[in-house]
Amino acid sequence: MSLLGVQDVVTAYGKIEALKGVSLDVAQGSITCLLGPNGAGKTTLMMSIAGILKPKRGRIVFEGQNIAGTPPHAIVAKGVALVPENRLVFPAMTALENLQAGAYQRADRKTVGEDIERLFTRFPRLKERAGQQAGTLSGGEQQMLAVARALMSRPKLLLMDEPSLGLAPLVVEEIFRIVTELHKDGVSIFLVEQNAHMALKVAQHFYLMEQGKVTFSGNPGSLAEDEVIRRAYLGSAQA
Amino acid sequence: MLADLIQNSLDGVTAGAAYALFALGFTLIFGVLRRANLAYGPAIMFGCYAATWTHLNFGAGLLLLAVITIAGGVLAGAYVERLCFAPHRGGSAIAAMVASFALWMQFEELATIVMPRHLYAFPALYDGPPLELGPFTLRIDGLVMLATAIAACALLWWILYRSRFGLAVRAVIEQPAAASLAGINVPWVLVRVFALASALGGVAGYLVVASHGQITPMLGMWSTLKGLLAMMLGGLGSLPGAVLGGLALGLIEAHSQWFFGPQWRDLIAYLLLFVLLAARVPWMTTRSAS
Repeated sequence: MSLLGVQDVVTAYGKIEALKGVSLDVAQGSITCLLGPNGAGKTTLMMSIAGILKPKRGRIVFEGQNIAGTPPHAIVAKGVALVPENRLVFPAMTALENLQAGAYQRADRKTVGEDIERLFTRFPRLKERAGQQAGTLSGGEQQMLAVARALMSRPKLLLMDEPSLGLAPLVVEEIFRIVTELHKDGVSIFLVEQNAHMALKVAQHFYLMEQGKVTFSGNPGSLAEDEVIRRAYLGSAQA
Repeated sequence: MLADLIQNSLDGVTAGAAYALFALGFTLIFGVLRRANLAYGPAIMFGCYAATWTHLNFGAGLLLLAVITIAGGVLAGAYVERLCFAPHRGGSAIAAMVASFALWMQFEELATIVMPRHLYAFPALYDGPPLELGPFTLRIDGLVMLATAIAACALLWWILYRSRFGLAVRAVIEQPAAASLAGINVPWVLVRVFALASALGGVAGYLVVASHGQITPMLGMWSTLKGLLAMMLGGLGSLPGAVLGGLALGLIEAHSQWFFGPQWRDLIAYLLLFVLLAARVPWMTTRSAS
């Protein structure tokens, strides 16, 4: 069953179309992954789904409802949370305040407190750093914080944009371990990754995007995998 | 000589308390938008004129006048945000600034059309004798100004660091995109920040007008200049800096006036700002987060 459906979405910066009619589906309860070279439009798609960018055309259907053009805070309220590229933690706020900000729309302080405790068991490093300014955390810790902050809104669909960007290999493995754990807990995940090898290990379905269009889709383990990985890194233009 | 220095400093700190509130309002708006709002002072003037008008026509008391001043300032501030800044969010900074200049003119014109005389009396906060402390004199309205400014700073601190709205404001200051991704309604936070900043300015404007006992349309430009100057002196974007900048401006003015005469008072403050900017002192050219 489709949780999120992107239908013929066009998003432009001025006159330049970064998305030239993108269509794809994220199934309920899946990890779906979006691969593609730099400049393919992956981040633009994530920002369009999250409401930061307004699509010029097309529909974005979440749980049967068109959310294209809805402001970002209202999309969070519907159950979609984005862990943005480069994490974008609130640097001068403490780690704990970052988590509280993530729960901004939730009025019940008690369940928010319980969720923070639960996330602290999942991310013990964040508990140690709770009172520390987020800007002083390491890259890996900031990524954990960004994921935890997004989870504080209790999303049904978690969008993750390049969570492994700039992180050491061990930290990347840790991040992907968390992704699979979250998936087991029932969160559907739509993941953008440069690290195609890692992404294809955890995903059930993938899409390849090149120059603003979806050019390939399939399931990991298929014969085409090597070709997809090559194109994800290089783009077909160089082939 | 020493007694003069102390007396000047006392006067400077009380005047600086009002400047600090102007600067805090300016800094809040700059913090969330990274834009200078030239109509900030004129919005405060609007509040003060609304109070003066009520006083002339209905003769309201001091407390009611304070409420009207602040409420008028808040309304005018929200109007400025909707008209000048909301349409240009993420767009042209120059367009927003020119628009805020246009609203400045609007407020001034409105004031002179409705109340055409250049100067109107405003009921004085206190017209008894000043407090004598040995060789020093302290004006009672100055003390009220200082105490109110301290209380307003404490309240602002509580709002920013202890309330849910404050968490949203700090999030918007630090990472506007991430704030909206966290579920914060950023446009609505911006309107409320303008209202909060104008309320702070309204408190300061009321105290200034009530201790001078008079009001002119120049109040708008005057508050914008004092707020901008104090904000720059304390370091762009820093709230503690705004308070220090306001106090510093008050002290500089009081001492210049004493040593060089009243005609030098403003000139020396501007000259100092100019020298500090030209020297690119680090706290002015690097903007801090909050």
